[in-house]
Amino acid sequence: MNDRPPVGRLARVLGSMLLASLYAASLSVGARAQDSSQPPSAQPADAAKPADAAKKPATDSKRVADSKKTADGAKPDAASPAADQSGEFVETPVGPAAAAAPAAAPSAGNSAATAAQPADATAPTGSGPFGFLNNLGHSANLFGDMWGLRTALAKYGMTLSVVENSEEFGNVTGGYQRGFAYEGLTTGTLQMDTQRAFGLPGGTFNVSALQIHGGNLSASNLGTLQTASGIEADRATRLWELWYQQKFGDSFDVKVGQQSIDQEFMVSQNSGYFINTMAGWPMLPSADMPGGGPAYPLSALGVRGRAHITDNLTLLAGVYNGSPAPNNNGDPQKLDPYGVSFPLNGGVLAIAELQFVYPGPGTLVQAGESDPLARTYKLGMWWDSEDFADLRYNTLGQPLGNPANDQTPANHRGDFAVYAVADQMIWRSEDPDRNISIFARPMFTPLQDRNLVAFSVNAGLTMHEPIFGRDDDTAGIGVNFAQVSSGATGLDQDTAFYSPGVYSPVRRNETVIEATYQYEVTPWWQVQPDIQYVFNPGGGIVNIYDQTEKVKNEAVFGVRTNITF
Amino acid sequence: MVKSRKPDRAFLAGCVAAALMAGAIDAHAEGVLAGLRHHVTLASTIPDNGDLNPYAVFVAPATVGKLHQGDVLVDNFNNQSNLQGTGGTIVDYNPSTHALTLFAKLPQTLPQCPGGIGLSTAMAVLKSGWVIVGSTPSRDGTTATKGPGCMLVFDANGELATVWSGSHINDPWGNMAVVDNGASATLFVSMSGYDVPGPSTIDPATGVPVVVNKATVLRIQLAIPTSGPPKVTSQTVVANGLAERADKDVFLIGPTGLALIGSTLYVSDAIQNRIVAIPDALSRTGSAGTGATVAKDGQLQRALALCATPDGHILATNGKNGEVVEFDPVSGKQLAAQWIDSNQAQSPPGNGDLFGLAMAPDGSGFYYVEDDVNMLAKATP
Repeated sequence: MNDRPPVGRLARVLGSMLLASLYAASLSVGARAQDSSQPPSAQPADAAKPADAAKKPATDSKRVADSKKTADGAKPDAASPAADQSGEFVETPVGPAAAAAPAAAPSAGNSAATAAQPADATAPTGSGPFGFLNNLGHSANLFGDMWGLRTALAKYGMTLSVVENSEEFGNVTGGYQRGFAYEGLTTGTLQMDTQRAFGLPGGTFNVSALQIHGGNLSASNLGTLQTASGIEADRATRLWELWYQQKFGDSFDVKVGQQSIDQEFMVSQNSGYFINTMAGWPMLPSADMPGGGPAYPLSALGVRGRAHITDNLTLLAGVYNGSPAPNNNGDPQKLDPYGVSFPLNGGVLAIAELQFVYPGPGTLVQAGESDPLARTYKLGMWWDSEDFADLRYNTLGQPLGNPANDQTPANHRGDFAVYAVADQMIWRSEDPDRNISIFARPMFTPLQDRNLVAFSVNAGLTMHEPIFGRDDDTAGIGVNFAQVSSGATGLDQDTAFYSPGVYSPVRRNETVIEATYQYEVTPWWQVQPDIQYVFNPGGGIVNIYDQTEKVKNEAVFGVRTNITF
Repeated sequence: MVKSRKPDRAFLAGCVAAALMAGAIDAHAEGVLAGLRHHVTLASTIPDNGDLNPYAVFVAPATVGKLHQGDVLVDNFNNQSNLQGTGGTIVDYNPSTHALTLFAKLPQTLPQCPGGIGLSTAMAVLKSGWVIVGSTPSRDGTTATKGPGCMLVFDANGELATVWSGSHINDPWGNMAVVDNGASATLFVSMSGYDVPGPSTIDPATGVPVVVNKATVLRIQLAIPTSGPPKVTSQTVVANGLAERADKDVFLIGPTGLALIGSTLYVSDAIQNRIVAIPDALSRTGSAGTGATVAKDGQLQRALALCATPDGHILATNGKNGEVVEFDPVSGKQLAAQWIDSNQAQSPPGNGDLFGLAMAPDGSGFYYVEDDVNMLAKATP
């Protein structure tokens, strides 16, 4: 638990966001003021610059009046250049090639020796150590060129990305307790294009690291299966991914190294707008794979192949170490606190996914047909060869819920689940920027004796440009559902039966409804208010602070901000 | 009134001529798109300085200097910080070696070019090896600080030779149409910068940035001496009053594509979502205004670059989705559209990803750029 007063933290974060918003507003006002000084009907300042330059001393430029120049030689009206065929023309030889040029001569009999002085030598606004401040409203990165670092890296085919996700979330009802927590994640990623670096086509090297800071609301207050935020994790500074990918033509590529498979498998583009963890790496593999699977903030050594079977069909398949942690006895994040253990001592996690995308490259739309609504469907399955403990029975087949029995669970070899992912656009306005899509990700395992979650699904609806003119914003509403397995439910029933004096609720399922709005302040900065309501937290678990009752339903509010440096 | 097409004595350079020379594409009545459905990624268009956002695509018509006949030149509109109107590089893709090399690089500021350097879709390569490219510059990546820019002339080794500026040059924007006779040439360039206010000046009636009907299409006649860069012999505004406006996402929206068939010039009017025809474009002495509409709406979704096919149809890239549309400019009939960029990270797929387009000279398909992934690609049978 974070020891700082939650209200103070919330006020601080909201205060900083308010200040930042005011700054952004001042940028906008500044821009408007600048624009308002150049009404559409007025001659823009820049358009006058060539004429100004022409007043400077002549050297080597040639100004040539157009052949259709008006007979009276009147200076053309630059404010209405359109149909006026007269006009000023400046030709300025530059560089060594100009030396070979014949003496400049007017083609139509009108010429003037003109200025070689700059027509406009205004420096770019991003120059200088604080130049990035001038581009805050539209740069893709807060620090722009990062004082020359990005340009230096580009010479070697490298790109650097640094992203900060910060959020303040809290529950105002239910939970173990009420309160707010700050959660933060900094992700640094360095990629190298090997063709640009040393001429090897199709190669990409990637290394990324995480700095996880702040608290963990779900652990301290909520007790949910489907944790409130996808960035919640143990505080750490750790290596995340370290891999090399090689393309072989356009049809096949291979990735080798330490990988976080949530970046490629079970991905729903529309689900990704939501903040609840379930929207990213789903509930079922989080609960059932050893160590939660090789997904944020963890990863595992492995090999992944991708084959584009047709323009619409892709097969993605990978084999990884069976667990992202050196062993399965404890918190996998603490067992590999820096992400550099590179365990290969476990079993094997194999996963395959068939993806159908429509439209794909080459999809033809005949005249008179309306454009198809975009869709992506995926079917997948994973299998893990590691050992899995039975949730309900010991090695003798006796209930673990009876404290008098030996507590060594029965062992099972292997685990698997199947899943599907669907993204489907359902409506598109006349201006296609504005559209609505739905998505769903169901997944299921029949092996209920060894898995906490037997079925999970998240589904929802997203709308791009929900407010006219805000075409980079996205709004969404979704629902997440997790069904606790019969093994876990049976354990709870046994516990209640064998310990009648102890309040022991039986876990069944958990449902989360989430509404979110991603507001793009600038290309490098998004602000995302978010509301979640959790029914039956944890599937129905006892409140650790009041062991006579279950954790009550939770209303969770928060704001996330994403900053790309 | 659009005149019927007729053969022109001039050698038509660029995509039209290249396609006519080879004629290998199956130019059946349904058009070429149905036969070009295989897409190959050729190369990253990012040069060593990290410039992004490939715009213009043009195939070199001859082997001169560093250029080899059939090379595909691509320029970049953004710098490595992805600020629009600040890119200054041209890269050269050799289809034989599959190598991509830097052809030319300019700093963001160039005294002779008002406003600086931001290389646009306006690019042409002449048979004599001269490369002419437009600059639509910005100081901060938005139209609020844009300058009128210039036309830059490089020699065949990528050395800057001449800069053209003046009152008829104001943000050269769309892909050029070219007639190249060797010793002389005619260029058509759209100018989309006249009096365009910044993207925060919103028209209350529409809720989008103010539209200004001042864009033009300029015809530039060139004399090309045996030594030395091309000389401008005359300039004629052949179209004017076309719509243009700023945009916070795509910088500028205005007439972007030009394609010449016979003596008729076709212009994509992106804001009105239509294609207009300018008759007698090679010979007219005055402006045809906004021309005559030959295609509108339907499968067009903010038409950008244009390119003529061997059978006299026109391909247009869509700005609002990842499609290229084929239409018959005489009848105005839209034949088909094909998704050439279906990146579902955009919504709808490929939204905002396409720009430049050029037919392959050997008739093997057409080249295009995908600015979401900074790649040069090709559609083939």
